[in-house]
Amino acid sequence: MNEQYLHHFTVVMLLCFISVAHAANSDPIIGGTLIFGRGGDSIGLDPGHEEDGESFKVCENIYDTLVQYKDESTEVEPGLAESWETSDDGLTWRFHLRKGVAFHDGTPFNADAVLFSLNRQHDPNHPFHNVGGPYIYWSHTGLAEIVDTITALDVYTIQITLKRPYAPFIYTIAMTPFSIVSPNALRKWKEDFTNHPVGTGPFKFARWDRGDKVVLEVNKDYWGGRAPLDRIIFRSIPDNSVRLIELQNGSIHAMEFPNPDDLPQIREDPALQIIEQPGMNVGYLAMNMDKKPLDTLKVRLAVNHAINKHDIITHLYQGMGVPAKNPIPPTMWSYDDSIEEYTYSPEKAKQLLNDAGYPNGFDTTLWALPVPRPYIPDGQALAAAIQSDLRRVGINAKIVTFDWGTYLAKIKNGEHDMAMLGWSADLGDPDNFFYYLLSSEAAQKPAGNIAFYRSDEMQEILVQAQSITDQAKRTELYKKAQAIFHRDMPWVPLAHAKQIVIINKKVQNLKLHPTTWKYFRQIWLEE
Amino acid sequence: MKEHRRQVYRALIRQKSAVIGASILIFFILAAIFAPLVATHDPREADVISRLKGWSKEHYFGTDKVGRDIFSRIVYGSRISIKIGVVAMTFSISLGTSLGIIAGYYGGWLDNVIMRVMDMMLALPSILLAMVIVTILGQSLTNVIIAVSIVYIPQYARILRASVLIIREQEYVMAARVIGASDLRILTTAVLPNCLAPLIVQATLGMGAAILDAAGLSFLGLGAEVGEPEWGAMLNENRALIRRAPWTVMTPGIAIFLIVLGFNLLGDALRDVLDPQVQT
Repeated sequence: MNEQYLHHFTVVMLLCFISVAHAANSDPIIGGTLIFGRGGDSIGLDPGHEEDGESFKVCENIYDTLVQYKDESTEVEPGLAESWETSDDGLTWRFHLRKGVAFHDGTPFNADAVLFSLNRQHDPNHPFHNVGGPYIYWSHTGLAEIVDTITALDVYTIQITLKRPYAPFIYTIAMTPFSIVSPNALRKWKEDFTNHPVGTGPFKFARWDRGDKVVLEVNKDYWGGRAPLDRIIFRSIPDNSVRLIELQNGSIHAMEFPNPDDLPQIREDPALQIIEQPGMNVGYLAMNMDKKPLDTLKVRLAVNHAINKHDIITHLYQGMGVPAKNPIPPTMWSYDDSIEEYTYSPEKAKQLLNDAGYPNGFDTTLWALPVPRPYIPDGQALAAAIQSDLRRVGINAKIVTFDWGTYLAKIKNGEHDMAMLGWSADLGDPDNFFYYLLSSEAAQKPAGNIAFYRSDEMQEILVQAQSITDQAKRTELYKKAQAIFHRDMPWVPLAHAKQIVIINKKVQNLKLHPTTWKYFRQIWLEE
Repeated sequence: MKEHRRQVYRALIRQKSAVIGASILIFFILAAIFAPLVATHDPREADVISRLKGWSKEHYFGTDKVGRDIFSRIVYGSRISIKIGVVAMTFSISLGTSLGIIAGYYGGWLDNVIMRVMDMMLALPSILLAMVIVTILGQSLTNVIIAVSIVYIPQYARILRASVLIIREQEYVMAARVIGASDLRILTTAVLPNCLAPLIVQATLGMGAAILDAAGLSFLGLGAEVGEPEWGAMLNENRALIRRAPWTVMTPGIAIFLIVLGFNLLGDALRDVLDPQVQT
């Protein structure tokens, strides 16, 4: 009896809570300016040419894609295309476009605009194909090879044909680089469109002071309904501690990338709130298999056993990340939790080195990530800790570092022995990790596969998984790929970091997304 | 000569600042020489579990962000700093002195060429010039030493040239020339010993400045390799922790401050003693 009473009571209480929460969430306050503090400035605002998060973060608010990711999920929902269908062989995709949408410059959105935006990336004969630089994502995602033609069937219907079936196609086309841009504005500004972006999105571009801030104004005629905020200002504040001080002073409303060591202090601050969710990323230490002695499996296993990953990640990430054992994060479908990781054991590492013919260890270089990234917040500290662990088993690693641009260029060119890097998912498909980071094709310089791991077995599985659409079969294939990875161990998988944003409690309804930064259109500010 | 030296020495220990400066330096030099005995831990040994611990019996100066013992890193760091100071100064003194003596003694077009090049180098702020040199040569401790040495050459060249200009007109130099002594002999036996006083002063002060510049370069990420216990690099590594763990930044800062103070105090005192114009 008592229990039942308690049960009822709980239900009533819960209902109360839900309705209160619901009331708070249901009526957004219109107006206000949100100032967002971030680690660096955008590079450009023409989405087709960009490849970095800081550029996409802004572009996502200015532009729309044909289909877009749902809130808090990597499934897709209608964007500028109201509906779509695919042929049975998976080669033909038809998109029915939304009617009555206009670009910020007043020109109408229709099939012509889609053709212009995508064909400039795809068709080498398009007059704008060579304007403004290469279309990095179109080629890196493989769409340049996979897509055959993009045509308009009528003013509001687009047809894309593929050369071979490609399972993640619909998720790929939802990515920001494939946003629809205003043909009118692009014809007017040409190369300079990157500084004068025009799209159909919830916010219009207002101004950009390079190195300082980007200002966006609300688009009141947005097809999805106006966003609550009047204005967003993206401020670049490179120093993590300075950014936090600004947040505490109230001169910004939200920020990214806190120092892990500042988290306890943030938790104590009554004005601030930490919003976090598991991220879709991996930080890893790649062992260059083109270099001796890392081409020997036993040596790579020894390195894996030598590093006290759990202690290092627990203490250096301060709860901002979890130790990794697979190349894909636990939040990704097909993640195989049954893989047994190589545990910390200096004795085993020494034994393996001995068996491999290096009883006294060897000299090598350890390349430390020079900038804070979500997956590795402090590359140099991590490098120092790993260096110390390696020294214990006789591996003498010299820490090397360069500025970010040089670092990337050099490791893509294979100049390192061991190098830290990471990957944040663009879309919710394991292919996005495996093919870019571990396929033989990606081991061509400039490489995405910086371990230069070339396995025919792996390559075959990855291509096979790309060309079938049956999710259950694909899951099997990616589990097999994880097993092969685990056997060959071209990396030391380090950590999967959480996605973290620190906000002033005035900021309402901020919902993180695993792969995008779309949340700005839902936020409002309490008085 | 011996008598003169004894006088200088006596004057020096009467100066309080000289004694303090020298004591600080001796302290650091001893720490550097006996680093393996003094240090309580391996300066490169990380222990993430005990990271960011404050001052304690186990870790005198606490631990840094990867759990390395800061006291041991400071001790080993004094080796690096003193090495930079001594090697860089030896280098720039020998080059600067030679250039200054040649310019001052021979005069004429040689003087003009050498001194205008020196003027050009002096026109650039020293840290900027050093940064350019390190950027060209690449990041390493050796290149920092080379950069700092080059930067300080003009100072010695100028001082030496000025002294030589006066000394070469002195009667004993004339006398040496009259007996037919070679230029080399005149320079090494008559000119150089008489330029030593300002040189010693400048070298002592310069040593502090060189250490400061090298630490500055490392702080900017241009100096010591990542993970080496160099004081400037330690400051840079832990910069973000200044609020969370101030000792990680303060300790190397104080070390740099002390060693530079030591050199400056000693240098000032030496100038008071050696410079006849200042003597009362």
